[in-house]
Amino acid sequence: MSVIQPLLRLLCVLSLVLGGSGSGSGLHGHNSSVSHEYCVLGAGPAGLQMGYFLSRSQRDYIILERNTGPGSFFQIYPRHRKLISINKIYTGRRNKEFNLRHDWNSLLSDRPDLLFQRISQELYPSADDFPRYLSMFVKELGLKVKYGADIGRIKASDSNGNQGYILTDQNGVSYQCSVLLVSTGLWVPQQVDFLGSDLVEGYESIPTDPEEFKDQAVLILGKGNSAFETAQSILGRASRIHLYSPSPVRLAWQTHYVGDLRAVNNELLDTYQLKSLDGLVEGRLEDIAIVRREKDGGRRRKAKKRSQTSKEGKEQLYLTLTELLDQNGNNISKVTGQNLPGFHTDNFSLRQPYDRVIRCLGFRFNFSIFDGSARPAQSSGARGRLPGVTAWYEGRGTPNMFVLGTAAHSRDYRMSAGGFIHGFRYTVRAVHKILEQRYHNIAWPATKLPLSQLQSWILRRVNEASGPYQMFGVLGDIILLRGSYCEYLEEFPLQALPQLSALSGRPLTDHGLLVLVMQYGLNRTDTLGPGRAESEWTKAWRSNFLHPVLYYYNSLPTEKDMRQRPVGWPLPRPEAVHHMVEDFLTEWDQPISHSQPLRRFLEHCLQTDLRPFYAESCFLLSLTSRTPPLFCRQGYLRKRGIVGNSHLRQHAREAGLMADHQGDVTPGDDTSVSEYLKHAGAAVVSTMNFDL
Amino acid sequence: MCIVYLAAFLFSLTSEQCSSKLIEDSSQSFMERMHSGKTSFIYFGNHVNPTIKLFVEQLVMSADALQDYGISVVKVNCSKDAIANYCTGEKLMTRAYLFRGSEVLRSFDIDTVFDVNAIVSHVLFSVLFNEVRYVHTPAELLRVESTAKQNSDIVVGHIPVLGLPEHRALMEAAFVYGTKYQFVQTTGTLVLKHMGVVDPSSSQARLWFLHCKGVSRRSDPCPSTPMRKTLNTINIHTFLQLMEAPLVPQTQHLDRATAQTLALQLRGEVGVVLIHRDSPNVKAALKYNAAYRLPQEDVTYFTLNSAEGVVKLFKEELLQEHKLEDEEEDEEHWSDLDILDDEVSESVYRDRDLMLDLESVIELTSDTFQTTVTQNEITVVLFYFKWDAVCMAFIQSYIEVADALEGMNGVKLAAVNCGEWTDICSDQNVTSFPTVLIYRPMAEAQLYRGMLGTKCLHGFILLSLVSSPYLLSSSAEVMSFLEGDLYSKHMYLTPVRVLGLFSSTHDMGVTPFEEAARLLRGETILGLFAHKEAEQWVEGLSVNLPALLVSRGPGVPHEVYSLPSSSPTDLVSLIKQVELDRFPELTVENLPWYLELGKPLLLLFIGKEDSTESTKALAEIKRPLSSGQLDSFLPCWIHLGRTPVGRSILEKYLGFVPPLPVLVMSRLKTGEEVFLFPPERPLMAKNILQWIHDVQSGHEQPAGLIPDGKWGPPVPFFDFLAIMDQEAPTYAAQRAPKMKTGGREDHREQKHVTQNQRQTPHPSPNPQAPRQHSEL
Repeated sequence: MSVIQPLLRLLCVLSLVLGGSGSGSGLHGHNSSVSHEYCVLGAGPAGLQMGYFLSRSQRDYIILERNTGPGSFFQIYPRHRKLISINKIYTGRRNKEFNLRHDWNSLLSDRPDLLFQRISQELYPSADDFPRYLSMFVKELGLKVKYGADIGRIKASDSNGNQGYILTDQNGVSYQCSVLLVSTGLWVPQQVDFLGSDLVEGYESIPTDPEEFKDQAVLILGKGNSAFETAQSILGRASRIHLYSPSPVRLAWQTHYVGDLRAVNNELLDTYQLKSLDGLVEGRLEDIAIVRREKDGGRRRKAKKRSQTSKEGKEQLYLTLTELLDQNGNNISKVTGQNLPGFHTDNFSLRQPYDRVIRCLGFRFNFSIFDGSARPAQSSGARGRLPGVTAWYEGRGTPNMFVLGTAAHSRDYRMSAGGFIHGFRYTVRAVHKILEQRYHNIAWPATKLPLSQLQSWILRRVNEASGPYQMFGVLGDIILLRGSYCEYLEEFPLQALPQLSALSGRPLTDHGLLVLVMQYGLNRTDTLGPGRAESEWTKAWRSNFLHPVLYYYNSLPTEKDMRQRPVGWPLPRPEAVHHMVEDFLTEWDQPISHSQPLRRFLEHCLQTDLRPFYAESCFLLSLTSRTPPLFCRQGYLRKRGIVGNSHLRQHAREAGLMADHQGDVTPGDDTSVSEYLKHAGAAVVSTMNFDL
Repeated sequence: MCIVYLAAFLFSLTSEQCSSKLIEDSSQSFMERMHSGKTSFIYFGNHVNPTIKLFVEQLVMSADALQDYGISVVKVNCSKDAIANYCTGEKLMTRAYLFRGSEVLRSFDIDTVFDVNAIVSHVLFSVLFNEVRYVHTPAELLRVESTAKQNSDIVVGHIPVLGLPEHRALMEAAFVYGTKYQFVQTTGTLVLKHMGVVDPSSSQARLWFLHCKGVSRRSDPCPSTPMRKTLNTINIHTFLQLMEAPLVPQTQHLDRATAQTLALQLRGEVGVVLIHRDSPNVKAALKYNAAYRLPQEDVTYFTLNSAEGVVKLFKEELLQEHKLEDEEEDEEHWSDLDILDDEVSESVYRDRDLMLDLESVIELTSDTFQTTVTQNEITVVLFYFKWDAVCMAFIQSYIEVADALEGMNGVKLAAVNCGEWTDICSDQNVTSFPTVLIYRPMAEAQLYRGMLGTKCLHGFILLSLVSSPYLLSSSAEVMSFLEGDLYSKHMYLTPVRVLGLFSSTHDMGVTPFEEAARLLRGETILGLFAHKEAEQWVEGLSVNLPALLVSRGPGVPHEVYSLPSSSPTDLVSLIKQVELDRFPELTVENLPWYLELGKPLLLLFIGKEDSTESTKALAEIKRPLSSGQLDSFLPCWIHLGRTPVGRSILEKYLGFVPPLPVLVMSRLKTGEEVFLFPPERPLMAKNILQWIHDVQSGHEQPAGLIPDGKWGPPVPFFDFLAIMDQEAPTYAAQRAPKMKTGGREDHREQKHVTQNQRQTPHPSPNPQAPRQHSEL
């Protein structure tokens, strides 16, 4: 292996040099240089997803990967090799779009069979399957990936007045890119500085064999999925597992955020609550110190020498507080009892020593490869671990550099699924549409619909679309109203709404717009308690589970509106809002609870009657009013009226919604009285029938 | 013996009631009555049983009541005076008759006119037939309203059961106020709903006053005031008096506006009067500016701050009983929201437990789609959504077509559920639902552009099987195509044949014509005759080849048009246009083609029975047709038997249905007036032309108006924002400007940190309790 790798690299360099000079682009003499319109950094799921879209639109692109295969993160992580992303292959449905709602691992493509289920049938698949899937994805779609190119430095450069980027790999090969797409993921383990942090093992390097933890007391720093995953694997071997971090556990099934603790990993909650020696503790990481002390350390009566026998010399780790240590020095080798919290508070929770302390604090973005002007700012949220990006995922301060994948999670950190494959596959698609508009003047794809079709189109999206469903609150469908028709744009990044026209290339008219968003409820109640679900459509705004929400604006919200949006809302206060009541089966297709309220909302926004009418009614209305209702204008009068059969029309007559012409009175002529008589009699009879 | 006894008994009854107004007629007085022309209510009897006895008692009472209205109540003893026609037959004893002179206005079963109230109400209703409109549907009511607007106010009474005291009270009111107001009676629950009653099943009688006279524009609706008290003569009278009273009498000064608002809102319940403070009779303290007096109570003074406050005071506090009622209405108003209000959804919803029998339709999947659509000569595919009412309404017709075509070779009907097979629907570019596409092997899918109904689709599919264009190689074949064997083969589909005539197959126009014919497959039967003999068919006509010949069946003269060289799509629209009938019968299915022409309609309505009058009228309109005198119009006709909805059109145009046939001019696009050809004038070509001339020169008065109503939302929408603001005031409010953008989560995190810091004191030398580590 060690011999082959340098060889391969050499080959790569050779081929590059050859290729470069062959194409005539090698301007810099011996310093080999390649230029591409798009450089994608990293062949992980996000990089490959972008690669697919670039390849489909036939752009000049290259995916640079430092390792020898795609998705190398998954070769190592998760350390205990079980993916917790749901791979639900049986949904009872054959709708491919709908099924993506329950497939969290597949990437998007136009190949119906290029799904993760081809690799694994497990609900929680093995981590090894994922790189295999990615390799298949690369191979079948013929994506251009250059492996073994380890980019160590990224500089900004000026290319035709626009900021471009020059990437240099370990061999000095440089890549000139007009647009840089950073999908490097998060690789750098997050660390917190405190005294004794060198005594702590990291998640990235701990042994995964539970036997190594036999009868050991383990302190894990962190309460996320990696901490619990680690705890779970050693649960049957370790004597005591304590989890320590600032904030309490957040459960994914309570917060609806998949980055919070998933039930797949939460066995320790059981052993904690059933008092089986494990536990969770909250406290600041910056305040603690880990100190080493010999077992049973401290002052001993010199006389008794028999007490130290078997575990002679074995040191144990204590958790203490910085403030209890001597102020003057970092000399923590001489720890006395006074330096430990247990000395002061006899029932201090973490007073017992540990055999191991493990850090499971997650990962951060690698900012170090970016030179000054090319370095994106740190995000304000997520403890600065992520690059800050605009609402359309362009680095803050780094034009023409976009951040994709997990690294772009700062937009919806702890809110939605943008940090996970099943979420960012859609944001990548959205970014690609923005690229197409900005660099190639190809407007955001839109479906032109007559208004009479709008309701059924919305219902269709609500019932099958996977993008807004997975990226709830972040990506939403935009409906640009244009009078008698509308344009339907799918999966636009909501926070970029003020820049809609520029980003999508679709101008706005004064007819306003509608935004369709999927949202969880905002007032969280007891997730499993009574009253957790709402079934009355008039109380739909109190829905707690994922449900569609429509916002109507008569003009585009400004950035200021966006900043001042109501607390917890994805969008500013609209002119009118409509919540479609949450549905137990996530099927929003019922006439009374879903369709009709939606239609009435649309009618209000469009200020027009959207009811469908049978051809016979349209016939009547077309001859007796100068502008018949919209449905008649866009259907019947275009010769596509809905005739219905007599059985249905009879229903409509019985419901009193269609006039009955058979028995109309004919006043004015001689027969009127006798006709009337029939009626008067009938009225008496019919009243009786009603009373029955 | 028996008869004698009974006669004696009857006589005794009469003698007892000689003080009453009930008249007993002999045959002679009856004959006189017949010639007097007066209105009388007559009962013929020949014996008495307990039922009849009770009825006669009621008859006696009604005689008193009806005398006030100039109606005599008469009894004829048939055992004494056998009057022809009435004293014989099965109906004797069980019927009573209302006469005007010798004419019977109406006959009643005595079960219907069972008591005095029933007698009075039914008799008055019959007498007032022309004054009191009887409506069933909201539409009818609206028509009455539209004719009454700016003219007179309307009193609407809802009488759930006829013949009860409420009915009588309404009829009596109608008799008194009939000349002043338009009275409307309804028994239907539909009208109730229309008037905003939430529980139409309650059998309470109701009354509304519609203020139509004062509406400023004809397009405005008439404001209505419900009468909140029970329906009896006194209450109706009071109510109508209140309606009649000026809103604010003795109005002076600037307070008028306030008083008027108040009066409008309290109309029918509270009278509002403005009194000048300086008037010597006023003894009110200065701090008060208003006063009220409830019945049987003293005047109470109070301070008026706003009109709303007063309305609230009255509606909620002083008129307690109404408050309850209002609340009830409010509550049920929202439950009303759960009723489907569109005809398609509701009719489909009513079939929700009906399992659709899709046996004759193949349900396609992603796996079977491609193979199926290439297998048959014609595969018709319906793209639908299960949850779309329009799709589900159409699918019933679609199944009917499939059933009708089952077993036919080369034709298969299939369906794709786009809720499941979304990929097929996207691949086939279907963006509108329902959509029907016609697939043929090796050809692009053809969109079905016709009406979504059984008849139209069935015809289309059958026509699609006819090759298009139909290639004709000799004049004999052309003959056969136009009226011979080739014609009769498809005669049942359509009588119209369109023939493209070219001098040779090399003509430049042949290819576009063939392409157009392909596009029109299923819609038109097109023939193509590219032959040197084609010349014969245009001989003697002012048209040269290439030409288009239209035949509307054997015996009808052909029409010939010259065929310009143009694109296939232009040819399609040309062919569609020449195909149109020049004097069509309008039907639900074909109207859109004719409305597209944008011409004023000259519309003849023909009754159900095909009378000679109708045939004559049709012929009379046809006459000026050929001379081109009606070219600026679309002459057309509607047969009310085949198109019953035509009756509603007539009613909407004129407010009533005159004797048929009737000719109407409706300027749908250019104006709003509807003109009626005077019924007294005979429907003759020259009269019609004269009338058209009069209309155009403005000498005719319009008989009705076509409203240019905007179709706004039919119901107010459910305003979630308003509810949020009410129930959780800050929830939907924009944040105050100074707050930072940072997400909610960040704040929470910071808060958490500060909490910890606060909890961590720094007593360094003597750290008593580092309690910040808490086990939660």
